[in-house]
Amino acid sequence: MAKIVLSIGGTIVQQRFVDTETIEIGGQADSGLVVDDRAVDPKHAAIRCVGNDHILEDLGSRAGTWVNGTRVTRHILQHGDVVQLGSFYLRYLNPRASEVDFERTMLIAELPGPSDTGGQAHSSNTPPARSRVRFPSGHARMTAGARAGQTVALDRVIAMFGLSGQGRAVVTRRPHGYFVTHVEGRRHPRVNGASIGTQPRALAHGDRVEVGGEAFEFAQD
Amino acid sequence: MAALSDAGSVRQFNEDAIATDPDAGIAVLADGMGGHRAGEVASRMAARIVFDHLQSRVIAFRSSAGAHSALQALDESINRANKAVFDASRAEAGHHGMGTTLAVTLFYDNRVALGHIGDSRVYRLRDGALAALTRDDSLLREEIDRGWITAADAGESHNRSLVTRALGVEPQARAHLAEDDAREGDLYVVCSDGLNDLVDDADIALILSALHVNLPLAAGQLVQAAKDNGGYDNVSVILAKVLQPFPAASRQRWTRWLRWLR
Repeated sequence: MAKIVLSIGGTIVQQRFVDTETIEIGGQADSGLVVDDRAVDPKHAAIRCVGNDHILEDLGSRAGTWVNGTRVTRHILQHGDVVQLGSFYLRYLNPRASEVDFERTMLIAELPGPSDTGGQAHSSNTPPARSRVRFPSGHARMTAGARAGQTVALDRVIAMFGLSGQGRAVVTRRPHGYFVTHVEGRRHPRVNGASIGTQPRALAHGDRVEVGGEAFEFAQD
Repeated sequence: MAALSDAGSVRQFNEDAIATDPDAGIAVLADGMGGHRAGEVASRMAARIVFDHLQSRVIAFRSSAGAHSALQALDESINRANKAVFDASRAEAGHHGMGTTLAVTLFYDNRVALGHIGDSRVYRLRDGALAALTRDDSLLREEIDRGWITAADAGESHNRSLVTRALGVEPQARAHLAEDDAREGDLYVVCSDGLNDLVDDADIALILSALHVNLPLAAGQLVQAAKDNGGYDNVSVILAKVLQPFPAASRQRWTRWLRWLR
């Protein structure tokens, strides 16, 4: 279970589990977490629990709510976050949170009250989890075809080369390097003069690639 | 049509199930949940029942009866699957609490009927633009809808794996049914959250735009991208491309008759 620890000048003055639906934070005596400081409003901020998330919300405070040095209005607390409240520091501890991200699908009750905002299925899709994977960086120096002379950055998951009808191939960016793969056309791409067939071929710095009327030299940064 | 299902880079078992029939225009995907591999039982059972039922009704919804009978067949198939999974979950202790998400596309008469429950999705790539045709039944989706977090911050959420609806967990299914026109060149994507939780929409669109001429390669690249980005979940994807208009048989006859008149 998540825990919040309030300290001042390196001394812990209060700690509690995040075990209720909301915890109000402020100078007010009946707050879930009382912070007695001139810079802290009576109702300064709150922590709202939603599923596995603890969302810190500023309640329009004068001095603002700061997490790890950045002012926030709403913030999903992460293990180790430090919230500054006047001269106090509030540390959020939830070592299990990162494991939760890899857990298997589970069913949870829908939130009470209206949830349907009117069938706007196309708007603001839930984006992916933040990736921690590191990818290499490389580019293609075009030597033939319409883009000859240009440098094409290989900074996305996939990049297309060649022309429809003359043969096309993609260069894919993977954690361990770049690969070129045949997509369509009777003529398969050539790397350093040799056809690669239909299988992906790993690219090495300096490789010369020909595909459907285009040619480039691969460079890995 | 091209379909691919992969256990991913981390998990030992694949609890996703897929079933496709390009000739009948059917694509079914289920992502199971429940302990001790019960999720596998639930997703396979649901996918099989929905698929079999739709196949048995193909003649009916391809005829003049049109939209009504296609959506009806979809609804029936989902209710049957729901009942079967629900009953099975109560019959055996090891299966208690199992359930599954579901996403189905059914092509008929230049249209597509969509059914979904949980966080499996259907997307459509049309003229290079990717649109989500389904809306997740997930806690994260609700947090965003209520303005508690922004969509941009959702990547930091710990609620990725929490769905608010599933098939087979209650006596009556609460699935979403919809239909849409299907145009020549449209590319439909049915996927489990193992794809869209790891690959963002922009990259999905980029891969599809580059590879729509080679669907098996496109499906392979999507799965590979999900695995390269961590691949901690099972990942499944079905791609269905509309190659040409597919009007209902009766209307075709009618058009032919018109042409003959002129």
